[in-house]
Amino acid sequence: MSLLSRYAEDLFWLARYIERASNLARIIETHMAYDRGRDEDVSWAWLVTLHADQERFAKSYGDASFANVIRFYVADMENPGSVRFSLRAARENARALRAVIPTEMWNHLNEFYNRILIVSDAELEPIRLWRTCAQIKDGCYAQIGVAESTLYRDEGWRFFHLGLMLERADQTSRLLDVKFAQLATGAQSSDRAGDATFWSLVLRSAAAYQAFIRLEHRAGDPSRVARFLLVNASHPRSVAYSVMQIRSMLDGLSSGYGLRQARFAQEKVDALFELLQVVGHETDLVGRLHAINDSLQRRLMDLTNELGQRFFGHPPPDTTSPNASQSQDPAPSQSQSQTST
Amino acid sequence: MSEPAASRSLTDYDPGAFFCELTGRHGSEAGQKELIRARLDGINTATLMQRAREAENELFNLGITFTVYTDKDAIDRILPFDVIPRILTSAEWRHIESGVTQRVAALNHFLWDIYHDQKILKDDVIPRDLVLGNANYRPEMQGLDPPCGTYIHINGTDIVRDRSGTFRVLEDNGRAPSGVSYVVENRHLMQRAFPDLMRGLKVRPVSDYGERLVGKLREVAPAGVDDPSIVLLSPGVYNSAYFEHIFLAREMGVPLVEGRDLIVENDKVYMRTLAGLQVVHVIYRRINDDFLDPEAFNKESMLGVAGLMRAARKGNLTLANAVGTGVADDKAVYAYVPKLIRYYLSEDPILENVETHICGTDEGLAYTLDHLAELVVKPVGESGGYGIVVGPKASQIEIEACRRQIEADPANFISQPMIDLSVCPTLIDGSVEARHVDLRPYAVTGRSTWVLPGGLTRVALKKGSLIVNSSQGGGTKDTWVLEESGP
Repeated sequence: MSLLSRYAEDLFWLARYIERASNLARIIETHMAYDRGRDEDVSWAWLVTLHADQERFAKSYGDASFANVIRFYVADMENPGSVRFSLRAARENARALRAVIPTEMWNHLNEFYNRILIVSDAELEPIRLWRTCAQIKDGCYAQIGVAESTLYRDEGWRFFHLGLMLERADQTSRLLDVKFAQLATGAQSSDRAGDATFWSLVLRSAAAYQAFIRLEHRAGDPSRVARFLLVNASHPRSVAYSVMQIRSMLDGLSSGYGLRQARFAQEKVDALFELLQVVGHETDLVGRLHAINDSLQRRLMDLTNELGQRFFGHPPPDTTSPNASQSQDPAPSQSQSQTST
Repeated sequence: MSEPAASRSLTDYDPGAFFCELTGRHGSEAGQKELIRARLDGINTATLMQRAREAENELFNLGITFTVYTDKDAIDRILPFDVIPRILTSAEWRHIESGVTQRVAALNHFLWDIYHDQKILKDDVIPRDLVLGNANYRPEMQGLDPPCGTYIHINGTDIVRDRSGTFRVLEDNGRAPSGVSYVVENRHLMQRAFPDLMRGLKVRPVSDYGERLVGKLREVAPAGVDDPSIVLLSPGVYNSAYFEHIFLAREMGVPLVEGRDLIVENDKVYMRTLAGLQVVHVIYRRINDDFLDPEAFNKESMLGVAGLMRAARKGNLTLANAVGTGVADDKAVYAYVPKLIRYYLSEDPILENVETHICGTDEGLAYTLDHLAELVVKPVGESGGYGIVVGPKASQIEIEACRRQIEADPANFISQPMIDLSVCPTLIDGSVEARHVDLRPYAVTGRSTWVLPGGLTRVALKKGSLIVNSSQGGGTKDTWVLEESGP
């Protein structure tokens, strides 16, 4: 018997939320560990921009001080973009999946979530934040590892992996976009453009520094950093790698399980590949980066909607309202422009 | 080698006048209980407390919990667990097992009869009105032939033990008895926490419950279906028994579905899968009759699936348990179960009832009102221990309030003498004390009946309390059925 559609959708979102929490934790962790000595107010406002949360943030916090931004993104249960919210959403999806996922997957997530639920204010202080975020990141990695080691390789596994890779491609694209925007508009833009520290931070935020430096030997070239994170075929967090994985999962659903409706999603993946091919040959990558990321994110969202419609039983997306996502994602508007003013 | 008396856990244990499940000698196998008693005594209370704490942490981490939802949060709570097991010898178990099997057989015969020829009503064995006027009697079930004649596929029989050690049935649960997940999880917990207590003992296994259940449900598949598709239907994550639904579906290896995952077309039930609609033959449903099918019953139900009854009537679907079993576990019908056993099986009841006075009859009402202070009064339609008035423990005001309620609606009440439930040593705030327990064995019936060895032992954690329901401060214990001792 084929898999219950609801299970496929819950697995897809379980993975997305874990991946989302993991990215956020790693970004904060790397910035705490490697970006010391900067003006904290300036260095943390960008995180709000990264997630296109300016409006929501301003409503509850006002100024983007270090303490406010960290509370908003790590601890705030009202913020659908926070680590804690993502982990709770992951756990609620897992709860609905408990009859079908291995008990190991649920047990790990349950313990992990209960640990993060009691993160204290003191653990968000600058001196301990690095450790707190490392713990969250490791918990997410372990969660994916438990799935990798125990989850039965049926359609459900493929949807889990689709969620993971879609979120990852989206996060990497968004990170690049905001970092380039930060350069273009920030007060310190002139002194940071050629700053190796700045680019090594971007790479570390995507867990890509070591691989990049092995290949390139120096981190200071924005265009090469962007190219690496977008089209490198071997780095597990590059957009191209993630999209290849997505294609392979869809191929499996179509050929191995006879789910012919996968072809609609496969068409969207083809469109993504075309875009990435253009990136590979782009001579002015830095100048075109925002436009490229914008279309990347739009196509990723199209893909998500296609999955919702063809597999999860959602109605087609309402084209009159660009932000009306059919999915269970509470923070769906992130593909919208991140151009700073 | 003996430890100082002060560190022994049972030194101050006193069951008083009650029958003790551990120390009350009974039968020839008392030696097996004595070994466990001595081992337990050798574990000091500090160690017991330490292990109890760890066990509760484990339950929480494993998510063996029920969830209380508020507007903003989902709060997970564990059901209190006592680490001192309740022991049943093989002889005690044989008695219970055969008694439960007999009872379930009689109830299934009764249900077939009242939904078909109603011979028992014509023979005046049970009052017609008690059956046909019962809110849980479902005319929709008349003439429907469930496979194997089985209506109650999963039954929980609440059994108590009086001062003399005699087992008595207190209640039948033939709708959707819950708690079996705790039986299995408690065992797994005990195996990890008390390997020293279990060492070398032959305790009958319980972890094959899911496999057994799915096997029995395959037996009752609609006629002509060799490889039935089976699902478990749950009201969803907000249901307080959701953990049990997860547990059962997981252990049975069947999908856990909600109403929104199913649809009825052309009197057949389908499940929404990635590959489109796929047919479903057997539903183990954990949704009450009222909410099961808005087309047949409560029109407001958002939990159920419209058309399930149609599919069942056409013989395309087996519902477990069948609709309309509530009439058989009614507290007033209960009083007639010994008669049902004699009528349908021509056997004497193996397990005795508790003497029951039906307030809906003149003599039952008169007796009850005359002896309120000695009796336990129960509303017929309630479960979960709600609405029970224990005469000997009630104030004069409570008794008078109870009297007025009975007089206003006699048919809604029964009364029984107070049973001094047996006790078990139980860890309470750092010392081992006697607490009252009951037992709910689970019987699973397809073509024949299988009874899970042991069952759920519920313990009233409040000192002196006789009400073991979790909603009233009850906890659970692991129940060990010992195998026959070797030659």
